[in-house]
Amino acid sequence: MRIRAIALNTFSALLRNKIIILFCAGCVCVLLLTMAGLLTMRKARGAQNAEAMQMAVLPLIGFTMGFVSGFGSLLAAWSGADAVASEMRSGTVLAVLARPVRRWEFLLGKFLGVQMMMFVFVLLMLGLNYLLAWIGGASIETAPWVLVVYPMVRYMIYGALGILLVTVMHPILAFCIVLVGMITAGIVAPGNPETYVPDWLRNGLFYILPSSSLLSETRFLTITRATLRAALWTDHATALAYGLDYALVCFLLAAWIFHSRSLSRD
Amino acid sequence: MAAVIEFQHVTKIYKRIFSEEKLAALADVSFEMAPGQVCAFLGPNGAGKTTSISMLMGFFFPTSGQIRVFGKPPGDLLAKEQIGFLPENFAFHKFLTAPKLLRFHLQLAGRSPAGAGNLIADLLGKVKLNGYENLKIGKYSRGMVQRIGIAQALLCDPKLIVLDEPTSGLDPAGRREVLQLLAQLKAEGKSIFLSSHILPEVEQIADHVIIINRGKMVRSGRLQDLLASGGQVEIVADRVPPEVAQSTLRGVTVEPAPEGVRVLVEAARKRETVEALWAAGCDVIAMTPQRSTLEELFLKEVDRPGGAQ
Repeated sequence: MRIRAIALNTFSALLRNKIIILFCAGCVCVLLLTMAGLLTMRKARGAQNAEAMQMAVLPLIGFTMGFVSGFGSLLAAWSGADAVASEMRSGTVLAVLARPVRRWEFLLGKFLGVQMMMFVFVLLMLGLNYLLAWIGGASIETAPWVLVVYPMVRYMIYGALGILLVTVMHPILAFCIVLVGMITAGIVAPGNPETYVPDWLRNGLFYILPSSSLLSETRFLTITRATLRAALWTDHATALAYGLDYALVCFLLAAWIFHSRSLSRD
Repeated sequence: MAAVIEFQHVTKIYKRIFSEEKLAALADVSFEMAPGQVCAFLGPNGAGKTTSISMLMGFFFPTSGQIRVFGKPPGDLLAKEQIGFLPENFAFHKFLTAPKLLRFHLQLAGRSPAGAGNLIADLLGKVKLNGYENLKIGKYSRGMVQRIGIAQALLCDPKLIVLDEPTSGLDPAGRREVLQLLAQLKAEGKSIFLSSHILPEVEQIADHVIIINRGKMVRSGRLQDLLASGGQVEIVADRVPPEVAQSTLRGVTVEPAPEGVRVLVEAARKRETVEALWAAGCDVIAMTPQRSTLEELFLKEVDRPGGAQ
């Protein structure tokens, strides 16, 4: 009951967070731009060549949704960091932890509150995927659960990472580290062109940083009907287990640090 | 009876990371608070009051020494279930209304908010916030926020109530209401650990006083004993001949009074003075111990040179 109460309270607070509203407004702008592009494309091509439409529209949707989804990762990290930091800043954490609430329960409540908001975000993204495909006259062949579960697991990682970092630093610094980490993870991901980064560093960073590419749902969006091959369940299981494990480690580290830190109004 | 709060040789030293700089916020502080007592925890700004309360609540950890609340370490869930806490400058989730906030705190306490409507209405009535049920806390005045803070501290019928500056931000009428509420809680047998700067008010309800200064405990004891100790005694006498006033009463304060004269002597000299007056044939009408106020005691302890250096 305690964890649920903290999670629901966090969810309510996040929905009123001005920075998060600004984040989402940015996403809506990008989507509106894409929508305009798709409508133009549809008008130009007509409905005769469905296969060609599919080939043209899906990469565009994949690109747009990849952007929105990446935006979601940053949103998850910021929300995780701010959910804890705002309680410390305002001093409400003192009132909450004066109740019979364990410190890890407080963090778990915060984490779940962030995930509740990200679930709403993912459902909106799912709806937008289908809406954009419909506008572009294409159809998405990927199973809907993939478009829900993959981003959720990724957002769990970033939410937990945000919470972990904010237990030891300012939320803006935590957010910047996540942002740099995301960019670095993209650079060192296998399959990317060789960079000046030495192999030992590249491999090290690849194992340490969360692999966004592995947990990217947008790679499924670009698979057209012609090339569609069902992914093995072991592929899904491995990728998702990796993500959950990463999020769990981040959360446990955050709980360990938070357990022994002094709590005062920042 | 087991103590509600025990501080045993508690020291708290703040250290900066990557620096040798150290600040002793508390140094070897020991005291106990018995059940049912109202204990006033006093000290000037920066004396270590909030640090002590934070350690009591399990927010900070002592560098050395031991703290027990209901016989358990601070932060223990069983201990926290019995504590109502009002931090200094209490902050709330501003988007909540008062009933929603109290429901949230009920859930945090592990209790179902279902059917708690009457309890919440009673508490809001107690702190004079009824009629503001639909107003968000973000729109509350400072005094109203303080009242809702007191309401949440009383929410789960706690045995121990820890209040850090409960009357800050309240107008005189509000302060009087809080004092009446505290007096009522005291009558109900609750233990109250109270930190405040408004000493005349504290004096009205406290049983026990602890004064700390610069992290060290400088005085502790029953309020009555502390106020009486080291005070003066007023002796009212009649038919005092002028030669007695000039010889026997030399060095003490003698003022004319409607009944004769009023003599103020140190408590240690009261017997000697009364006997001298009797021997001189004076009529001793009354002898009354003069109590100092808590404010006088506090200022004396805090200003004492080298008292807590």
